[in-house]
Amino acid sequence: MARLPHAAGARLAFLWEGRVVEARAGDTVAAALYAAGHRMLTRSRKFHRPRGLSGVFVADHLARVDGRPNVRLDDELVREGHDVRAQNVWPDLDRDLLRLARLIPRRWLRAGFEHTRLIPSGTPLFERWEAMLRFLAGVAERPPADQRIPAMAGRRIAADVVVVGGGPSGRRAAAEAAGQGASVVLVSRGTPPGAFARAGGAALPDLPESVTVLAEHEAFGLYRDGRLVGAAPRDGGAATAIDAGCVVLAVGRRSCPPLVPGADLPGVLDLHTALALAHDHGVAPGGAVAVIGTGDVEAVARRFAALSVGVGAVLETGRTTRILGNHAVAGIEADGRVLACDAVVHAGPWRTDPALGFQAATGGALRLIAQAGRGNVTVVGSAAEAPEPVVWGGHLDDAALVCPCMDVTVAEVRALAAAGEAHVEVIKRLTGCGMGACQGFPCWDQLGAALAALTGRAVDDRPTFRPPRGALTLAQAAGLAEVVGPEP
Amino acid sequence: MMPRKVAVAIVGGGYHGLSLAFNLADRGVRDILVLDAGYFQGGASGRNGALVRGGFSSVEWTRFFGHSLNLWIGLSRKLGHNVMFTRRGYAIVAETDRSAAMVERALKVHAAEGLRSVGLDRAGVRRVLPAIDADRVKAAIHFANGGTAPHHAAMKAYLAACRERGVTVRYGTQVTAIERTGGRASAVWAAGQRIDADAVAVAAGAHNPDVARLAGVELDGAGMRIEAIAVAPMRRTIDPGIALIDRATYLHQTGRGEIVGGCEIAGEKPRMSLASDMPVMAHTARHLATMFPSLGAARVLRQWAGQVHVSSDFGPLLGQHPDLRDLWLSAGWLYGVAGAPASGDLLAKAIVTGVIDDRMAPFAVDRRRRNRPIVEESTVNLEH
Repeated sequence: MARLPHAAGARLAFLWEGRVVEARAGDTVAAALYAAGHRMLTRSRKFHRPRGLSGVFVADHLARVDGRPNVRLDDELVREGHDVRAQNVWPDLDRDLLRLARLIPRRWLRAGFEHTRLIPSGTPLFERWEAMLRFLAGVAERPPADQRIPAMAGRRIAADVVVVGGGPSGRRAAAEAAGQGASVVLVSRGTPPGAFARAGGAALPDLPESVTVLAEHEAFGLYRDGRLVGAAPRDGGAATAIDAGCVVLAVGRRSCPPLVPGADLPGVLDLHTALALAHDHGVAPGGAVAVIGTGDVEAVARRFAALSVGVGAVLETGRTTRILGNHAVAGIEADGRVLACDAVVHAGPWRTDPALGFQAATGGALRLIAQAGRGNVTVVGSAAEAPEPVVWGGHLDDAALVCPCMDVTVAEVRALAAAGEAHVEVIKRLTGCGMGACQGFPCWDQLGAALAALTGRAVDDRPTFRPPRGALTLAQAAGLAEVVGPEP
Repeated sequence: MMPRKVAVAIVGGGYHGLSLAFNLADRGVRDILVLDAGYFQGGASGRNGALVRGGFSSVEWTRFFGHSLNLWIGLSRKLGHNVMFTRRGYAIVAETDRSAAMVERALKVHAAEGLRSVGLDRAGVRRVLPAIDADRVKAAIHFANGGTAPHHAAMKAYLAACRERGVTVRYGTQVTAIERTGGRASAVWAAGQRIDADAVAVAAGAHNPDVARLAGVELDGAGMRIEAIAVAPMRRTIDPGIALIDRATYLHQTGRGEIVGGCEIAGEKPRMSLASDMPVMAHTARHLATMFPSLGAARVLRQWAGQVHVSSDFGPLLGQHPDLRDLWLSAGWLYGVAGAPASGDLLAKAIVTGVIDDRMAPFAVDRRRRNRPIVEESTVNLEH
């Protein structure tokens, strides 16, 4: 796959599954592999479906880099001579015989292999059967015994205002608070903050010098009604606990793929990820990209055209009935027609990741529920806009995956709904939906949409969101033990 | 429709309510009603460490939980559904001279009670716990028969077995009053209806003291929050369930590969809350990363809180309330997963036959009042 004209960075080469791959300095391993046409990075934990860079559901694609297991390919910068090998496959990613796990009838196994009727506990074979299930459910490798990573001493700071998100609205909120003399900390995944807006071609307001910026940090939790904020750098360095006067959430929105079969095929990307590839890495998401979305999809297509990306089709997400392909996207089906394409970029429906706001503003003795007026949090910018409904074209297909990580299909939700089960918390426990890397966003939104369609009742309920969703390591979390004591 | 009259009304549809209902039905009791204010697996029965062991340091705990362990082993057959109780073993790890001495005493108790346990030497520690920093281990007990039971399988099995035996189980149905007539508990109110009951049993987890107050009686202990974390899944790294006794920490690796653990920390005030906080996550992470040094790079996937009812000696409160006839309790559970099969078995026996089993008797509800606490040193709890 050709690099875009603006691709920069010195050429270098590394090994992927034993084959030489060309890359550019500054690429993540995932971006370099995408550029070289290697769409599949990993296989799903249970049925070993191909998975690739998507921006949705999967927070990490783990592989072995120079012998180190469990390296995140979307974070790791590629270096000359890197030897990168896929994990959780045998003998290799393409031939992977572990995908024969698909032959195990689904009625025997549910919820990431933890439900099984076949061999009950107490029988002589159970422990061996369970050991096999544990093996099949594995994703990350066992860390090597000689890998000793000590606790990373944490730090604690205070600010009048903590802003989460470095896009235009986060920057405006930070500047406004700083202008009024408040001490401000801004936490952003990007470096410098505002990567998505910049890739989208938007202008970014300046940040005053007085604002403390924690770039390449993930805000992993809002505790104590939002008065204690946790932030961890993506490079594994020291985590920070921030005493916050108040919190401004400017986390923007993410696009949710259509709830159709094939929506998690390698080559289906959310707009954030596709723009980062095209703008930051000079990698075309595809030769003929289908852009689907809500609202002004043509504007998205124009932005890709400006970045020299070839767009083959533009349509509304809600018309999509299926995304076709075996190991990667080969076409998209909408309105009964098949359009050939080699990538699908979805730009809507847009929904705000609710995890942090939920965590800060919940209470309840029997169940954690969001409580109005609680939490020290203001949501600004697009994150404050109402979520757009999850969509699909035609009928709700049994083969569509509600939760790709746990292989929960519409069929499984349909069976539970038919049995009268409508409580999202109970369905979560019965299926494992949302127990994977995304920890519920967007799969609980998909679960709610599917359940509403299947029962004919509105479902605006979701299970409890539980950060930190992999945003920090045990070594990083351990360092906070010295700096944060029990709540008085 | 809610029944107007039942033999036994059980308040709480968690492990202990369902285990009691199942065992009552198994003994031929008809008209059993289980009422739960929350949702299925919404309380501590869906937010626990899943750990099962039979051996403790005290004779009383070892007799009761040893019985429960035996019931766990046969539970899939008994319920007719797979509870997925995996006997991957259970280890108690001591790092100080004080806890090592407790380990030696506990091993003698186990031997006297016929419970299968072994003390691990250094080679044994390396064999059973290859990922642990063996230099830090002063002594350890290994229960080859212990293990873990995932609640989504075991609770599902209990609920299905209850319903198959005609037990009515209602979630989202709060008991709002318990009537007393002539010195006995005689009825419960729920969903605006009065339901006559020959006996009322309370197994409401953290809410036990509140429910008991509905009947006008007090219970020892109070509700409190307990927190845990799950580490992102990895291939088989830790086989047994583990109690790090000096760190008030427990952990196990689930069938999905997540390492789930929690701890108690000094200075934390007991509070009722389902919201999680930073310190327990941080301390659990520190204990895990210290004892299993290769886990430092593993990621914290999620954290959550549950609530339990803790008695003054950390032991369960089992039996009829001394101040109110026909009000039965299965309360004060910290090792509730391990104890559920036995609590249901022995409490059902007591309700149906009037016989208080010797293994249950020491855990009488009024033991604090009678100044008969049970000293148990092998649990991972701190005084608050």
